[in-house]
Amino acid sequence: MDEGGLRWYILFANYEQGLALHELLTDAGVKNRIAPAPRAIQGKLSCGMSLLLEPDAVEDARRCIAAHQAEYYDIVPLAGQIRSRRDQYC
Amino acid sequence: MVQYLIGIDIGSTCAKTVVMDGERQIQFRLLQPTGWSSVDTAEEIRRRLESEGFPLEDAAVVATGYGRVSVPYADKCVTEITCHGRGACHVYGESCLTVIDIGGQDTKIIQIQQGAVSDFLMNDKCSAGTGRFLEIMANTLAVRPEELCQMAAQGGGTSISSMCTVFAESEVISLIGRGEKRENIAFAVVDSIVKKVASQAGRMSAGQEAVCLTGGLCGYPYLRQSLSAALGREVRTAEDGRYAGAVGAALSAAAIQK
Amino acid sequence: MSDYVSMWKDLGMDLENHDLLCQVLPTAVGDVFLTQENRPKGMDFWDLVISEVHGIRPKELIEEQKKGRKVFGTFCVYVPDEVVVAANGIVTGLCGGSQFWVPGGEAVLPKSTCPLIKASVGARLGRTCPFFRIADMYVGETTCDGKKKAYEILGEDVPLYVMDVPQMKREKDILKWKDEIAEFAKKVEEFTGNTITVEKLNEAIHIINEKRKALARVYNCRKSTCLPISGRDALLMMQISFFDDPVRCAQMCNKLAGELEQRIADGVSVVPAGTKRILVTGTPLAVPNWKLHNIIETSGAAVVCEEMCTGTRYFENLVDETQTTLDGQFMALSQRYMKTNCACFTPNTGRIDDILRMVKEYHVDGVIDCSLKFCCLYDTEKYSVSRALKEAGVPVLSLETDYADTDAEQLRTRIGAFIELLNG
Repeated sequence: MDEGGLRWYILFANYEQGLALHELLTDAGVKNRIAPAPRAIQGKLSCGMSLLLEPDAVEDARRCIAAHQAEYYDIVPLAGQIRSRRDQYC
Repeated sequence: MVQYLIGIDIGSTCAKTVVMDGERQIQFRLLQPTGWSSVDTAEEIRRRLESEGFPLEDAAVVATGYGRVSVPYADKCVTEITCHGRGACHVYGESCLTVIDIGGQDTKIIQIQQGAVSDFLMNDKCSAGTGRFLEIMANTLAVRPEELCQMAAQGGGTSISSMCTVFAESEVISLIGRGEKRENIAFAVVDSIVKKVASQAGRMSAGQEAVCLTGGLCGYPYLRQSLSAALGREVRTAEDGRYAGAVGAALSAAAIQK
Repeated sequence: MSDYVSMWKDLGMDLENHDLLCQVLPTAVGDVFLTQENRPKGMDFWDLVISEVHGIRPKELIEEQKKGRKVFGTFCVYVPDEVVVAANGIVTGLCGGSQFWVPGGEAVLPKSTCPLIKASVGARLGRTCPFFRIADMYVGETTCDGKKKAYEILGEDVPLYVMDVPQMKREKDILKWKDEIAEFAKKVEEFTGNTITVEKLNEAIHIINEKRKALARVYNCRKSTCLPISGRDALLMMQISFFDDPVRCAQMCNKLAGELEQRIADGVSVVPAGTKRILVTGTPLAVPNWKLHNIIETSGAAVVCEEMCTGTRYFENLVDETQTTLDGQFMALSQRYMKTNCACFTPNTGRIDDILRMVKEYHVDGVIDCSLKFCCLYDTEKYSVSRALKEAGVPVLSLETDYADTDAEQLRTRIGAFIELLNG
């Protein structure tokens, strides 16, 4: 895994949408993970949940979303979110 | 082909480097202040090794000490506890011993059985009983740490009660203000370190095995003598005692295949 | 639609400060959890809950309150959930695991108070924890001096009921705790307006027992030498279980356990064979305190069990479900809770027996005994814990830490050296 590398986050207005897409993507074999929405890209959304995509899964995810007309808010790239030895806890 | 084993111990005060040949004989030693940047220090060590005829491509390198993560060319990092343990066995030629390492920012008591670390204890976020404590007090008395230890041998009759370095420093300042002899203050400083270290060592169930000192304070005879008295046992020192961490790192490099 | 901001506003929370907390959580979750490969699918549920930790569950609690149900915030595994559930009340854990809240606690408490207490008080006074805003009543207990005194300060701000936990485990102490439970039941009846009947209490006992069994089922999977779940993930599950509805908690834990059992059958492990197995014992790790587990598991070992309140002490031992009178049920509750081995009791040799038993059950290579700073009780017990383990030939490392990040490097050195020692 590329620690600290660029990743993509699918944002939602609410977690129900997020869970629905999580299921669709998983069924379609598109690797995605439930992750807290990084505050830097969350904007005014109060939904804390996002779906995390590795760069190579973004196009497949877009296709899956289009095929099912799934609801989501935005897909945003962001780097530096995941480092196992950063040792900054909350 | 690995021809040399290189151990680099980047401590809070000093960086120690040791080069060993295939026979585990020390071929080169390097001691320098760590300075502000461990990264710069590591780079300086690399250049020095090359110029001394120990290019990295012929060597397996293990880094240890608190700056171990700042050595980009190290093949592996090993903690200073394991390295001091292994290094002390090598330096003192023993396979069962208690190692007391008084370092710049921490003090470690390491128990070794059959050449392997079996238990250890490290002081917490506090500089009492460490080399830093000695340095700060020496600064306050306007002498070098080794001079402080020499002076201490001539002193007595005074003590510092604070365990905290900051409070202890102000105690020293008031002793100076009261006109107490510098030798007596120096005695109190060393006594405070020795008591703290001895109480830590007392927490480890020391049997009859040898007690050996490693780290920068190895070369201070009065400290050794005073620690021996406090523990009621002979504390050994050796010329290469302060290189023990680097020696242990070099020994750990033997397992690296290249 | 989840509009949590207006919910937080209605709860009277300090939105500006709360937003600062919301900024750090996603990064920590990313670093600790999302760096792991091959996590069980069942963790999805807890990933969702932690992503919306101040949203999803608080919203549910508020909906239940609208129906007239009362929410009880608790601080300790000695407070019997069964009594609250029998009166149709809801039990929730409270925030207290982040450095974020410590300065707020230090404004009123001595600095030399444990970080868990400082953070809890800071979370309440700083109005940055929705659970602390939602709870109708707080139930404290006398398990340490720091908490006892902190409750006096918290009690000025919120309705607080304190249960008097005995300090010894003689027969008369078990009877005394039974009386305390009966008295608490009266208080809960009064506060909720609902009567606790034998049937209702039996049903509640059953619900909580099922939750305990489900948690135990997950822990059982961690005993396998083929380790199907990381310590970090198991810890998150355990931490969230303090906040969740007990029936759903049991469902989700059972679902996870089913997946883990399958993984074991298929030989799927989250760590390479030979990875050293660590039992962590000591003071609780309240959410989001993940520092210790993360350091251990990014230093090459795996945490296989937590002998702590956020661990085995929460679910081990069941309450007898066969009692037919309230008096018998209160006694059964007292007997079960008094089996929990907390350092507030003297003597507390049962904890050492537990640790030695778990070392065997979980195939443990080494024990890390870690207490929160200024917890005199657990700090003192380190001496006898470490002596007993050494006698049994089990390597042990004693640590003390708090919620600050500043000692992470020192912890990495000690824990790294301990794992090097285990690896020989």
